[in-house]
Amino acid sequence: MDPDYRGDADHHDGTSDATPGGYTKERRPGELGFAVIMALASLYLLWSAYGISGFDALSAPGAVPMATTAAMVISALVILVKTARRPKVTTETLSRDILPVKVIVFVVFLAAFGALLIPLGFLPTAALFLIASVKLLSDRGWGFAIGVSLFTLLIIWIVFRIVFTVLMPAGIVPEAEILQFFRNLTSGGAA
Amino acid sequence: MDMFLAFLTVITQPQLLLLVGLGTFAGVYIGAIPGLSVTMAVSILISFTFSWEVYPALALMVGIYMGGVYGGSRTAILLNIPGAPSAIATAMDGYPMAQRGEAGTAIGVSTVMSFIGGFIGIGVLALAAPFVSDFALTFQPRDYMLLAILGILLVGSLSSGSLVKGIFAGALGIAIGAVGRDPLTFTERFTFDLQIMEGGISFIAVMIGMFGVSEALLQLHHVDKTAVKQKISRIVPSLGTVKKHLPLSMQTSTIGVIIGALPGTGGDIAALMAYDHAKRVTKNPSRPFGDGAIEGLVAPETANNAAVGGAFIPMMTLGIPGDAVTAIMIGALFIHGLNPGPMLMVDNPNMFWFIVGALVMANFFILLFGLTGIKIFTKIVEMPRSVLIPLILLLSIVGAFAVNNSVTDVYWMLGFGVFGYFMRHYGYPLGPVILGVILSRLLDDNWRRAIISEREDLGRFFSGIFSSPLSTVLLLAVIFIFVSQTPLWRIAKTRLFGRTGSN
Repeated sequence: MDPDYRGDADHHDGTSDATPGGYTKERRPGELGFAVIMALASLYLLWSAYGISGFDALSAPGAVPMATTAAMVISALVILVKTARRPKVTTETLSRDILPVKVIVFVVFLAAFGALLIPLGFLPTAALFLIASVKLLSDRGWGFAIGVSLFTLLIIWIVFRIVFTVLMPAGIVPEAEILQFFRNLTSGGAA
Repeated sequence: MDMFLAFLTVITQPQLLLLVGLGTFAGVYIGAIPGLSVTMAVSILISFTFSWEVYPALALMVGIYMGGVYGGSRTAILLNIPGAPSAIATAMDGYPMAQRGEAGTAIGVSTVMSFIGGFIGIGVLALAAPFVSDFALTFQPRDYMLLAILGILLVGSLSSGSLVKGIFAGALGIAIGAVGRDPLTFTERFTFDLQIMEGGISFIAVMIGMFGVSEALLQLHHVDKTAVKQKISRIVPSLGTVKKHLPLSMQTSTIGVIIGALPGTGGDIAALMAYDHAKRVTKNPSRPFGDGAIEGLVAPETANNAAVGGAFIPMMTLGIPGDAVTAIMIGALFIHGLNPGPMLMVDNPNMFWFIVGALVMANFFILLFGLTGIKIFTKIVEMPRSVLIPLILLLSIVGAFAVNNSVTDVYWMLGFGVFGYFMRHYGYPLGPVILGVILSRLLDDNWRRAIISEREDLGRFFSGIFSSPLSTVLLLAVIFIFVSQTPLWRIAKTRLFGRTGSN
């Protein structure tokens, strides 16, 4: 059996960078489309790199970008031709093996996270995100999802906010006031 | 005698020893948490330690640096997310080992090998700093440029996929690194007239996206499977295992020191080059490389810790950073009124020997913290994936946001995460992209310096290369790697040596 073929049963489980998930002799669903997009994008980038300074001088700001995008165009075209020649994998479909609904849902979740981060603040957004995703991924009840999420969030908050003082947007939660309240409480107790 | 006393300062003053220990402990965990980089921690620490004396501040930073380089290997092994760029190569064989339930062995071996590599690095730093400074002084801009290309090509040839995809990925990385205003002429490059592109794309966002988010998205395919159970009964590797890999570790440590000592190239390239070396010299690996070979773990782990000692050589002798962390340390020395460079060694040799002493102690602490406390750490892997995946994503978001406190970086991270997800599916290696982004600036600056000094004449540029043995060797290495990956090499080899078997 081809050592590079990782089979269908457990394909790409924990694919490390050293073992990219593609097959050497077949093309996966959507692979040709991806190769076409890469080739077109490379061409566009080459045109954009030419626009920086043209063939002005070898030391011009556009020289290295032009050389790299040219390398991209050439390699992308070679990949495209090679990919197009390969037979398609018959056992895989795009919606099941490459882009299942779960992945799309999570990309939407992450985009929503970014959108809500500033107006709502880190703590509520992260809580919503964790609860929703844990509930979606595990087949346990709401109690498990909410409990695990809030506990995890508390630990993350302690590590980042207090130990590393990474400031995340406060939003609607008066974080600073709460911290000050606890500080007053401990210093009040000490006095 | 003075020198020896300065070396022992860190032991004779308990609070300094404590700070090194504290720094190393923190470093191991900071290095291990994806999205929290040692570079970030050290730069935050500068503001903390601003009012401190210079020795305690350096003690803490040396500890964090040493610990962080080691700590990055843990998440690489357990989660396939390199906690630091220097651990990219560690993930290649470390993670497959963890998947087989050998996480304990992998962590044990990586700890002992980091210790050995660290010592060799420090030893070379102590002995050879003056000599290496002389050598590095002769480097020309074209040599830096060739080194950058060599680095990217090496990563490309490292991935078991096709070299063309590796070249594409490396070139893409250089292009990503070029986004924003050109630092020399202030010309806009790849900004598409968008204001958010002018500042460039944060390297941390690209790295977290490609290694954190895309991995988490890929893991979504397997959420129903039970978590990887880690048997970590044996952590301390047997003497036999260590002895068996000692020759290899000596070779890869040497590679680590040399690469670390080259300005600009740090533990990440050292680890990748060492991995490549191990792949070439190991005739009978315990398992195929990329499949959980111990040799594939020994090489990068010795090299990246050896590179720490190496990285201090140009920093202490020339005032040129060996990597990002030493660059920040140079800033710290400036803050404390010291002027890093050749004169520091002359005016303040005690400082040099104090740093060497602190590095030695930090190395011992790695052994201590590395071989204990692993059980708590591996619990992360035993967490159900339904909790682990959202957690990785959340940490990625915090990490990407915290770099510049900007939501834009979160979106970059997300974008590169989705892109990396497709790249993984279709067999494009991600390592070259990251390396391209890191080396883009170095490559660009040095190409322009080199070609300007040759009055924009390509002929003079190449005759310059061939008149210098160093540049010639570097150019030949670049050509060799390129050719050795193409069918041409196989044909030539068969012609020259007759039938060489299936390879």
